[in-house]
Amino acid sequence: MRWHKRLLAAGAVTAVALTAAACAGGKVRGAEGSPQPGTSSAGTTDATFVYVPNLDVVTDWDPASSYSNEIIAMQNVYESLTRYNPQTKKAEPRLATSWTSSPDGKTWTFTLRSGAKFHTGKPVDAAAAKASIERTMKIGQGAAYIWGAVDKIEAKDPTTLVFTLKYPTALDLVASAGYASYVYDTSATSDDLKKWFGEGHDAGSGPYTIDTWQKGQETELTLKAFDGYWGGWDGAHYKKIAYRVTPELTTAWQLLQRGEVSFVERLNPQLYAQASGTPSVQTSQTPSFQNLLTLFNTANGPLKDVRLRQAVQKAIDYDGLVAALKGAGVPASGLVPEGLLGFTPGQTPKQDLAGAEALLKEAGYGPGGKQLDLSLTYAQGDADQEVLVTLLSSALDKLNVKLSAKPLQWTTQWDQGKAKDPAKRQDIFVMYWYPDYADAYSWFVNVIHSADPVSFNLSYLKDDAIDKEIDSLPELTATDKAAAEKAYADLQTKIIGEKAAVAVPYVQNYQRAYAKSVQGYADNPAYPNVVFAYDLKPGA
Amino acid sequence: MTAPGPSGAPVAPLPLRRTALSRLVGGLAGVDRLALAGAVLLGLIVLAALLAPWIAPYPDDGGSATHPLEALLPPSGAHWFGTDQVGRDVLSRVLYGARTSLVIAVAVLALSGIVGVVLGVVAGYAGGWERDVIMRVTDVFLAFPALLLSLALAVVLQPSVTTVIVAIAVTWWPWYARLTASVAASVSTRGFVDSACCLGVPAPLIVFRHVLPNSLTPVLVQLSLDGGGVILTAAALSYLGLGAHEPTAEWGLMVQQGQSLFTTDWWVVTFPGLAILVTAFAFNVLGEGLRARLAR
Repeated sequence: MRWHKRLLAAGAVTAVALTAAACAGGKVRGAEGSPQPGTSSAGTTDATFVYVPNLDVVTDWDPASSYSNEIIAMQNVYESLTRYNPQTKKAEPRLATSWTSSPDGKTWTFTLRSGAKFHTGKPVDAAAAKASIERTMKIGQGAAYIWGAVDKIEAKDPTTLVFTLKYPTALDLVASAGYASYVYDTSATSDDLKKWFGEGHDAGSGPYTIDTWQKGQETELTLKAFDGYWGGWDGAHYKKIAYRVTPELTTAWQLLQRGEVSFVERLNPQLYAQASGTPSVQTSQTPSFQNLLTLFNTANGPLKDVRLRQAVQKAIDYDGLVAALKGAGVPASGLVPEGLLGFTPGQTPKQDLAGAEALLKEAGYGPGGKQLDLSLTYAQGDADQEVLVTLLSSALDKLNVKLSAKPLQWTTQWDQGKAKDPAKRQDIFVMYWYPDYADAYSWFVNVIHSADPVSFNLSYLKDDAIDKEIDSLPELTATDKAAAEKAYADLQTKIIGEKAAVAVPYVQNYQRAYAKSVQGYADNPAYPNVVFAYDLKPGA
Repeated sequence: MTAPGPSGAPVAPLPLRRTALSRLVGGLAGVDRLALAGAVLLGLIVLAALLAPWIAPYPDDGGSATHPLEALLPPSGAHWFGTDQVGRDVLSRVLYGARTSLVIAVAVLALSGIVGVVLGVVAGYAGGWERDVIMRVTDVFLAFPALLLSLALAVVLQPSVTTVIVAIAVTWWPWYARLTASVAASVSTRGFVDSACCLGVPAPLIVFRHVLPNSLTPVLVQLSLDGGGVILTAAALSYLGLGAHEPTAEWGLMVQQGQSLFTTDWWVVTFPGLAILVTAFAFNVLGEGLRARLAR
C-alpha cells in the first residue's frame, strides 16, 4: 500500500488519542451539533448523509496533490473529465460529454459539458481544465504521474480540449482516476493557491461544496449542496454530507444501529456478520480492486533460488485464508483483480505442501535437510495480514522453514525494503496494492517493472524481457484490447509462474453497512471508499 | 504433642487437639499460607506446562497446526476456551504457552541471578576499586528504563524466544548485583570472615564458601518476586512483535493478536491474558510469602 494510505492507518492510533482528548475536554459524543439523519429528516429536501470513516478525513485539500483519505470528500466536491463505470468497465461522461482518440491513440479530443460552473462562479471551460491539469502535472505530487503520457494540452475552444501524447494511452481511463484528475479553478484566489486550499476552501465543480471543516473534531467535515450544480437539484437528493470520524469500529456500528449515521465505511468481518442479520440496516459486499501481495526477494538471500520462492508460494493456505477472513477477502486469480482488463480467470492458486516439500528437498532444505530461515515484514496492526502470517509461518514450520515475521509501520517497512545494503532487505514483503485508475498497468509498472533506486518494485525483479513487455502495455490497451489481454496473461504466467516473484493471497472485499433509508448505493471499486452522495436518494 | 495452654490451667483433650490444629493452621495462615498458595499455584502451572502434550485437548494446535475453517468458534464443549483467528484451540495454546513463559522466566532468572550474584559478591567483599568499577557498570545499566533497553536489544536482535531471554537478562542482572553487593559488604565485616582471613583461607574460597551463602537470602526472595515481572516483560516484548513469533504459543503474542477482536470474540484475548495474570500473581505471592518468612 502506498505510504500515504499506510501512514493514515498508522494515524488511526493518533485519531483515537485525539478523540479521547476531545472527550476529556467535557464533550459528549454526538452532542456537538452533528446533524442527525435519522428517519425523521429522511425524505425531506434537507436530508443529511452522515458518513462514518474510521480515519481522519482530510490531510491535503489541494486537488493537485491530494492522495489520501480525503478522496471520500473530494470526489463529491470536485469532478474529473470522466468517471469509471465498474459495470460497463468503461469511462463514462462527467465534465466531458464525449471524447475521441486518433487511430494511433496519441491524440485525444474531449468535448466538455457546457453550463458547468465552479463553486467560485467561473465557468468550467477547456482553458480552466487545461490550466488545472497543467498545474497538477507541474506540482508533480501524489498521483500526478498518471498524466505522464501527456505531451501537450490545447484548449481549441471553450468546450474542446485536445491532448497530444508522447505514447499511446487510454486517456479516457486516466482522466477518470480517483486522484490527480480533478478539474478546478486555478484562478480562485490571487494569493498562493495551495495555501488557500489548505485553509479549507475549494474550487471544484461538483455537487457539493465545503460547509465546515474542523480538523480533529468528531464531525470533521460537512459539505453542502452547490446550488449552481450542472446536474440540478430536482428530485430527492441529500443536501448535506457530514463526515463523522469514528476510529472504533464497534462504536461506528452502534451509531448506525441507533440510526444516528447513514453509512459506515468499514466493519470487521464479525461486526459485518452481525450487520447482515440486522433488519434496520443494509449491507453491501463488493470485491475491490485491492489485493494483498507477498513479494519475494528475487535478488538476494535464500529466495534468490526460484525453487524456494515456488515452495513458499505453494505453502500459502489460500483457501484457509479466505475462510478465516470470513468474507473480507475472495480468492485471487493472478495479479489483476476481477473487473479489470488483464484479469486471468482460472488461475486461483492452491496450497500444495507436498509440492513445496519436494522443491525444498531439491534445494537441500525441508524436513531432514537444512533449516531455512526467512524474514517477512508486514503492516503493524493489520489483522487480515496477521492471519496470513500465522497461516504461512505455521505451514512453513512443518517444512523446517522458520519464518521470522516483523510487524512494522509502513515507513519503516518500506525503508527496510529500499535499504541501500541489499543484505538488510527482507525476504518476503507483504503489502496491499490498488490502482490509481481502473487499469491493471499499475501493478506491473509500479510493483514488477525494475526501478533503480528501488521504489515499489519490492521483489527486486530485473528482467529486460519482462520490462519491455510491461512498457508495451499502455499502447496495447489503447489500440488493441485483445493483444493487451494476451500480453497481461502472458506477463502473469511469467511473473507468478516462472519467476515466482510474487504470490497473491486474496483480493479484498469491501464490506459496508448503511441505513435502510439510503437508496441507490453501489460501491465503485475505482474510487476506494467513496460514496457519490448526489446519486443517492434519501428514502423513508 | 504438647500444647502450651494458659499456664497452670488444665487442658481438656478436645480443646487441646483443637489448639494443636489451629496452631498448625495458624502457623500456615500467619506466615506461610501466602507462600503456600503461591507455591501450589505455581506448581499447578508448572505441571500444566510439563503435561501440556497429554492434557491439551488438541496438542497439535500448540504447534503448527491450523484449521481456518473453524476460526473464531466461541467456547463450547469441544473448545473450552474457543478457537482463535486460524481455528486453533485456545486452551491448548494457553497450556503450551505456559511452557514458553516458564522457560523464559527460569532462564532469565538463572542467567541474571548468576551474573548479578557473582559480580555483587565480588564487589561487596573486595570493596575498593573493584567495587567501584562493578557498581558504576550496574549504574549505567540501571540508568536505562528496563523495558526500553530490552526493547532496543530485541529490535537489534532477530525476534525469538532466545532474544527475549537475552534482552531481559541484560536489563535484569544489575538489580541482583547491587542487592548482593550491599549484603556481601556487611557480611564481609563479620567475625567469621575475619577469622577465615586470619587462618589464611584464600580470598576466592572466602567469597564463595563464607560470604556468598550468607548473602543469598534477600536475592532469593527478590528472584521469586521477579518471576512475575519477567513474564510480564516477556509478554510485553512479544506483544510488541519483538519476542516469540508464530507458530510458537506465547501468551503475550496471543494477547496482541486477539486484542482487535475483543468486542466480538472476547475469548481469544481473555484466556491468555488471565494466564499471564495468574502466573504473575503466583510468583508475587510466593515471593511475598518467602520474604515474610525469611524476615522473621
